[in-house]
This record gives sequence, structure tokens and C-alpha cells, in this order.
Amino acid sequence: MRKILIVDDSVSMRQMVGFTLRQGGYEVIEAEHGQDALNKLAAVMVDLILTDLNMPVMDGITLIRNVRKQPALKSKPILMLTTEGLAAKKEEGKAAGATGWIVKPFDPDKLLQTLAKVLP
Amino acid sequence: MNRTIQSRSSGAVSSFPVSLAGGVAGHGQEVETALAQYLPHLSRMSEQLKQTSSQIESSVVEVCGSFQGIAQRAKETVERTTSFLSQQGKESSDTKSFESLIDNCSSTLVKILNVTEEAGEVSRRAIERIQQMDKASQLISAALVKLEQIAIGNKVLALNARIEAARAGRYGTGFGVVANEVISQTERSQKVNSQVSGLITNLRALAGSTLQDLQQMNDKDRKRVEQCKREVNESLIDLQGAHGEMKTMMTEITGEGALLANDIGAAVRGLQFQDRTSQQIAHVVGDLETLHKKLSSRFDEGSVGETAPHAGFSSYTMHEERKVAGIHGVESAQGDVELF
Repeated sequence: MRKILIVDDSVSMRQMVGFTLRQGGYEVIEAEHGQDALNKLAAVMVDLILTDLNMPVMDGITLIRNVRKQPALKSKPILMLTTEGLAAKKEEGKAAGATGWIVKPFDPDKLLQTLAKVLP
Repeated sequence: MNRTIQSRSSGAVSSFPVSLAGGVAGHGQEVETALAQYLPHLSRMSEQLKQTSSQIESSVVEVCGSFQGIAQRAKETVERTTSFLSQQGKESSDTKSFESLIDNCSSTLVKILNVTEEAGEVSRRAIERIQQMDKASQLISAALVKLEQIAIGNKVLALNARIEAARAGRYGTGFGVVANEVISQTERSQKVNSQVSGLITNLRALAGSTLQDLQQMNDKDRKRVEQCKREVNESLIDLQGAHGEMKTMMTEITGEGALLANDIGAAVRGLQFQDRTSQQIAHVVGDLETLHKKLSSRFDEGSVGETAPHAGFSSYTMHEERKVAGIHGVESAQGDVELF
């Protein structure tokens, strides 16, 4: 079963995203912020990372930069899932190494279709 | 003349005409006093907003949890019905389809009815044989009658022989003995005839009653078998009909399950409002706290006291808001009912 790491400081968002992904047949691992996500990644290999942008301790873009520094995670698919939709922010995310950008609120079906496209 | 007056609140230097400065300073003092009085409300407002945001998130988390349960149960139901429907018409080494079960049942019932019919056939053959036996016994009776007639004839002959033997005197003695023996044998055969005749009569009576019983049973069995056949066929038709209805219903349930999944997806989209709302509230809280900090550095909040005027502010009524507002009162547990 494919594993996906979801990173969001909102409990309800992690629950809704997790629910959608499990319905799609994925195994889900949760993290509260960027640093928590890095700790989890050190312990378990995942197939994709789905992260929010604005989080305490470590935000999403900083997380992406740190993930891309690791050789084993250099080409790991990373999708942003955030309320931010400004072009400038998207460019920043892309430059940091994000694979894609999804604006909240997400559509469950579209999210699953996107994951299917992005996952090898 | 103009003198510059430094604004105490911002630290910036601004120029006011002296003639206005006194009026402005007086008005400024009033504003500062009012601001100081309303300062405590700022922290309460930001605290209230934080609590509201937290409560909204808790509610959304609860609702999401319920949806997960609903979706899981719907998914399992759809999977079970889909699996059942896909098995119909197919058989594996350890599963049989419902149709093949009905067919097996039908063929078994037909075999049972056939066995019953064969039993009926056997009784019919038995009836025929008994009838034949009865005819044969009739013939035997007729033959016995003839034998009796022959015996009577023999007896008469033997009597005549005795008479002639008596006439022959000494030379007819042996002949007389033979005649007597013939009479004796004839009488013995007559006795045997009579016994056999009695037996035949009993046999015919027995056969007659058995025949009657068999015929009655055969008639009843034939009618019952026909009735059973009709009932079995009707039941199998009803069973097949019920199975067809069940399959239709299960197909509808599968469809409803898919619709339910769509509805839950829509609900998940809708519930995401909470994330944006939380962020917006967090921005407002941040601004309020910044404002509170800046004003606190200007005014001494402790000197204002607890009794800040409430003009323009909502009167707190709920438990949490009472707590936030620092209004102490009787706490009521959630769910309590009070009748007046």
C-alpha cells in the first residue's frame, strides 16, 4: 500500500485529508509541522508528501527545501495543499522544489486523481 | 505662536498651533482615558476568538470522525453486495450460485417425486399381480370342482366294482379289495380337495382385501404426488422471483452507496471552511494582540480596574464567554435543563 505523509497544523484538515486518502486506498502518516515531518521522514519511507504552507515551527516551503537536500528524497513527489493562491507564492514553492500546488478547499476526487498522476 | 508638541502616544513630533494645542491636548486626554478603560476588552476579545476557533475545529473534527464511520460502513456494504452480485451465475470449487442451488433443489425434489411415483407404479403392478393371482385361484377352484366330480365318479365306479366283486364271489375278492381301496383313496382325495378349496377361499378373501387397500392407497398417492408437484413448482417459482427481487434491491443499494460517497465528498469540501476561518481568526487575534501590546505599553491596564464600561459590547451570557470576560457567576454544567 502506498504511504503518504500529510503535514498540517490543523487537526481537522489532517483528518479530512487523511479520510480522503484512506478512502483512496493509501496509508497515511501525519505530522503537525515541518520539523515533525522531517522527524517522521527519518524513520519511515513514504511515497509522497502533502504539506500545508503556513505552519508553526517550520513552514511548508522550508520543509520542502530541507527535504530536497536529502539525496534519498530528492525526487520524492511533494504537493502543497494550502489556502494561498498567489502566483508569487506558487513560484516560491516551485523554486523550493514542490511538485504541485493545490488550493484549499480541495475536491476529494480531484485530489485522488492528482495523486494518481503524480505517483510513479 | 506655534510650538511643537510631542505626542505622548506615538512618540512622533507633530506641530500644532498653541492656540489649538490646549484644545487638542484636552481632547487627547479624554481619548486616552477612554482607550485605557476599554483596554481590558482587547485581551478578552482575542481570547474569545481563540476559543471560538478552537471550538469550531473540535466540532469539525467530530463531524469528520462521524463521516469516516459512515463512509467506511457504506463502503463495506457496497463491497459485500457487489461481491454477492458478481458471484451470481458463477461457481467455484467451494461456492455455488443461488441459481445452481435452486436447480439442485428442484432436481432433488423431482427425484423424490419420481421415487414416489415409482412406488405407486410398484403398487399398480402388485395390484395387477394380485388380480392375476385371483384369476388363477378361480381356475384352481374350478379345477377342484372338476376333481370333486371325478372323485364322485370314481366313488360310484368303485361302488359298482364292489358290487361286481361281490357277485364274482370268491374270484372277485381281490377285485373287491381294490374297489375298497379306490373308494378309500377317493375319499382321501376328496378331503384334500376340500382342504385346498378352503385354503383357496381364504387366499382369495385375503387377496381381495389387499387388493382393495392397494387400490385405495394407489389412488390417494397419485393425487398427492400430483398436488406435491404443483406445490413444489409454485414454491420454486416464488423462490426464484424473490431472489430476483433481492438482486435488484442489492443493485440499488450499490448505487445508493456510490451516491452516499459523493455526498460525503461534498461534505468534506464544505467542512474545509473551518481551515480558512481559523486562519482568518488567527490574523484578527494577532492584530488584536499587537494592538493590546502597543496600548498596554502606553497605559497601565491594572489601573483601569475590573469594572470596564460595557457600552457597545455584547453582554456575555454563555459559560465560556462569562469565563473569558471574567464575570463570575453560577456555573451550569452542559446539558442541564431548568424549568420555570
